[in-house]
Amino acid sequence: MTMTAQQVQKHVMDYLEATECQIIEKSPVHVTVKLSPRADQMLTDRPYYWGFVERTGAEPQTLSFTFVFDPEKYDAAASVPAPRSGTGPGSRGLASQTPWGSGAAAGPGDGTPGGNPGPGAGSNPGADAGGAAGAPIGGGKNTAANNGPNDGLLGRYFGVTPVLPRLGPGLIRREDITFGSRRLRQIWSAAQTEGKCLYLFEATGNHQRMTLFSAAYEPWLAVCFKVELSCDLKREELHFIGISLLTGEIKENFNSILDPLELTPRLPENVHIQPYEISLSSGAGLLERHILSKLSGQDYSWAEAARRRLQGELEIIDAYYSELLKEQGEEKRIAAEEQHASRRKETIWQYEPNISVSPVVYGLFHLRKQ
Amino acid sequence: MTHVPRNNLKQEQGQDIVLPVPISFDREWLKDLESRLDKGGPWGDWRLSRLAMEGEISGLVESFEELQCMKHLASLSPLPHQLDTAHKVLFEMSGRAILADEVGLGKTIEAGLVLKEYLVRGLVSKVLILVPASLVLQWVRELNTKFGISAVAQKKAYSWDNDIVVASMDTAKRDPHKELLISREYDMLIIDEAHKLKNKKTTNYQFVQELRKKYCLLLTATPVQNDLGELFNLITLLKPGQLGNQGDFAANFVVDKRVAKNENQLRNELSKVMIRNRRGEGPVTFTKRKVSNVPLTLSPEEQTLYDGVTSFVKDQYQESGGNLSSMLSLVTLQREVCSSRDAVFVTLVNLTKKLPEDSPRRERMIELLQQIRTVKANTKAEKTISLIKEMNEKVIVFTEYRATQEYLLQYFRNHGILSVPYSGGMNRGKKDWMMDLFRGRAQVMIATEAGGEGINLQFCHHMINFDLPWNPMRVEQRIGRVHRLGQQNDVIIHNLSTTGTIEEHILHLLHEKINLFETVIGGLDTILERFEKKESLEKSLYKIMLEAESDEEIRSKVGQLGQTLAELKDGILSESEAAP
Repeated sequence: MTMTAQQVQKHVMDYLEATECQIIEKSPVHVTVKLSPRADQMLTDRPYYWGFVERTGAEPQTLSFTFVFDPEKYDAAASVPAPRSGTGPGSRGLASQTPWGSGAAAGPGDGTPGGNPGPGAGSNPGADAGGAAGAPIGGGKNTAANNGPNDGLLGRYFGVTPVLPRLGPGLIRREDITFGSRRLRQIWSAAQTEGKCLYLFEATGNHQRMTLFSAAYEPWLAVCFKVELSCDLKREELHFIGISLLTGEIKENFNSILDPLELTPRLPENVHIQPYEISLSSGAGLLERHILSKLSGQDYSWAEAARRRLQGELEIIDAYYSELLKEQGEEKRIAAEEQHASRRKETIWQYEPNISVSPVVYGLFHLRKQ
Repeated sequence: MTHVPRNNLKQEQGQDIVLPVPISFDREWLKDLESRLDKGGPWGDWRLSRLAMEGEISGLVESFEELQCMKHLASLSPLPHQLDTAHKVLFEMSGRAILADEVGLGKTIEAGLVLKEYLVRGLVSKVLILVPASLVLQWVRELNTKFGISAVAQKKAYSWDNDIVVASMDTAKRDPHKELLISREYDMLIIDEAHKLKNKKTTNYQFVQELRKKYCLLLTATPVQNDLGELFNLITLLKPGQLGNQGDFAANFVVDKRVAKNENQLRNELSKVMIRNRRGEGPVTFTKRKVSNVPLTLSPEEQTLYDGVTSFVKDQYQESGGNLSSMLSLVTLQREVCSSRDAVFVTLVNLTKKLPEDSPRRERMIELLQQIRTVKANTKAEKTISLIKEMNEKVIVFTEYRATQEYLLQYFRNHGILSVPYSGGMNRGKKDWMMDLFRGRAQVMIATEAGGEGINLQFCHHMINFDLPWNPMRVEQRIGRVHRLGQQNDVIIHNLSTTGTIEEHILHLLHEKINLFETVIGGLDTILERFEKKESLEKSLYKIMLEAESDEEIRSKVGQLGQTLAELKDGILSESEAAP
């Protein structure tokens, strides 16, 4: 399964909104955002900085990014307002930074929009020569800037180093996010770290508040399990299953029950939770058992095939070392034995089929009793 | 609905369902849930949970047999043979293979694809990549930019703790690193330039044998360099016993150490562990190389200078009583005159500085320096300008000398041609920047270095050898910058050569004798390795230049040398046709 740029954008926006980041600018193909402290800690890999903030109580400066979901369209739009002929000071560098008008340039902490050499050019090392040439000129260091492109070019070779991408408050770094990009994986894993353990109630709506009788809520223990079937190859399955701690009833595709509901972290008014008939650990055991029985009905020819491959490999190895073990000399023989053992171990590690089950998210859901 | 009374639960759990495969449950979650219940939180955000699950769904590996990695690699478009290779390594070789494509077919890409696939499948997390020191950064960069794999270069001891580490073989095999690495387990081991593991007795070999690894890729363009035993050793590292034991192998497959027997059977056996794509095979086609030699006559002033330097060199050699080693640098002077007066000037000045005040040599040298002043024009530079104007396309000019490079930059600028320099001393950022400028707006790049970290200039198909290196490998590296995968046009190579100078002989050797320019010589490094068992090719040439009495003698000696090389080449060619 892969994802379109729109889907990727939806995921990223969901994350940014859930973590209360400050959206500065947004278009169908990009978003410029100042991260919340919470998101910054998860995404920017600055443990020392956050350690410093924690110890000193300093006002945290979070980073800002321009996430681009459709680089092609974004660049195309960026190049429209600044035609290629413009090699004048900084023109292209700035233009590429504000393809959708205002906003991006006025990032936090930079007061002088015209003289700001940073984000556009600096964050984009792969820009074409026009963009690259614009950057240091805007920086105001280059004396050769006005002597035409030739001088500027060589001047920079002999004199000034190129502007490298920098990170820090006030600079907005551009990053392209497509399916498979590291940032997206990081966002998912951050979402899992923060969102894996749940305790939620079905929201009631106004109706329930008005009625006389308190509504009965049934507690469900639900887990989204990831099942990994591995040998030298691998296949995966996801099972989101829930068990009623009242009745022991198990429901598969638990997400399809949850999806249409509005869930809230607070106990709604005028409802009561029915007491658990089944303990958490028993519930967990029953869920595991359910997974087991589901798996037991599957086709295991993949594991048989893997074991056959393993057997074949081991035979080759054994034959090879059985010759070596006849070698004269104690020392050589011991060395060969060791090698043989470790090679066997490696091979078993490589091929031996196994299944592991781990949770993606889990929690207690209190739903209106049907 | 199944209603289970509480007291029955324990018993029910007790009845085991037995799977044909061992299964393990991660149960930490229950403890986490219970402890949060005790403390009253903190609880996760439902929006984030859903996001996490959607992420899992999107990355789910739903099939045992199908490459997953391509959907994660939006910006990479591998060639069909590279995808085929990745497919084979995963599904036919179970992740242990020798990738032995010929040079320039993208072994690194293939290795990256295989690695990415295993990472995506979650079968690999700890990875060790061992490469020659000069390639460490290039590997790190390629894995990061092309594959989105967070590889780091090993720099400090703690670097080893990263999941995916690229390190130089020479560092890794030494203590204290060695001990640390051997104590660990690696899900995947990748070794570039693996032909360095051909000898069982080397520390490299023993080190790699001791490393504990699940999957393993060995990359080499020359799996067989000297004899078939090397191949056997390489395979033993990967899958001991695949070709039987040493005795079986010798009996079944080896006639002479360089000649195989039962070729079909050997090929069949090898295909289980080794993939070798060749140039000119299958869908990968390279464009042609067209060579144009441009003979030039030195201007009278240049000729006088050349003669002056030549006789100076000869006299010095005779004076020294045939002591070669101290004289070698003097031949460089001759080569430099053929390039530019600037080059020879710099070297002469440096040599003079080293001499004692009263040395008789000093005077001769100062005389030569005076002569340099009389040279006003540079024949080659003039010709180069006219060539560049004629082709009116991007072109890369290679020279051996920094001084010539500086001179040409200046000279081209005065003639209104925009050029950028490229040399080995630049840091990586500058190199990339120069490459971008060349791609974007400069017509010409003037480079002193072609090897090391790759510069890829597929967008340019003209090159001018302003002067030639005497090492054929370096010539091939130069051409390889533009003549590579992705080049759309025939590559046109202009060789500038001044008649009546040593350049003429070198060009004759490289072009006529070993036909270096027009075809890719498979195993050029092997040819050289065998030739240079006695002495390096460059040194042999220096010797000839110094010792020969006449131009005629140089010609015949260089001719002999060329003959030897040509024979080695034919020998290797027939071997590589015989070998798989």
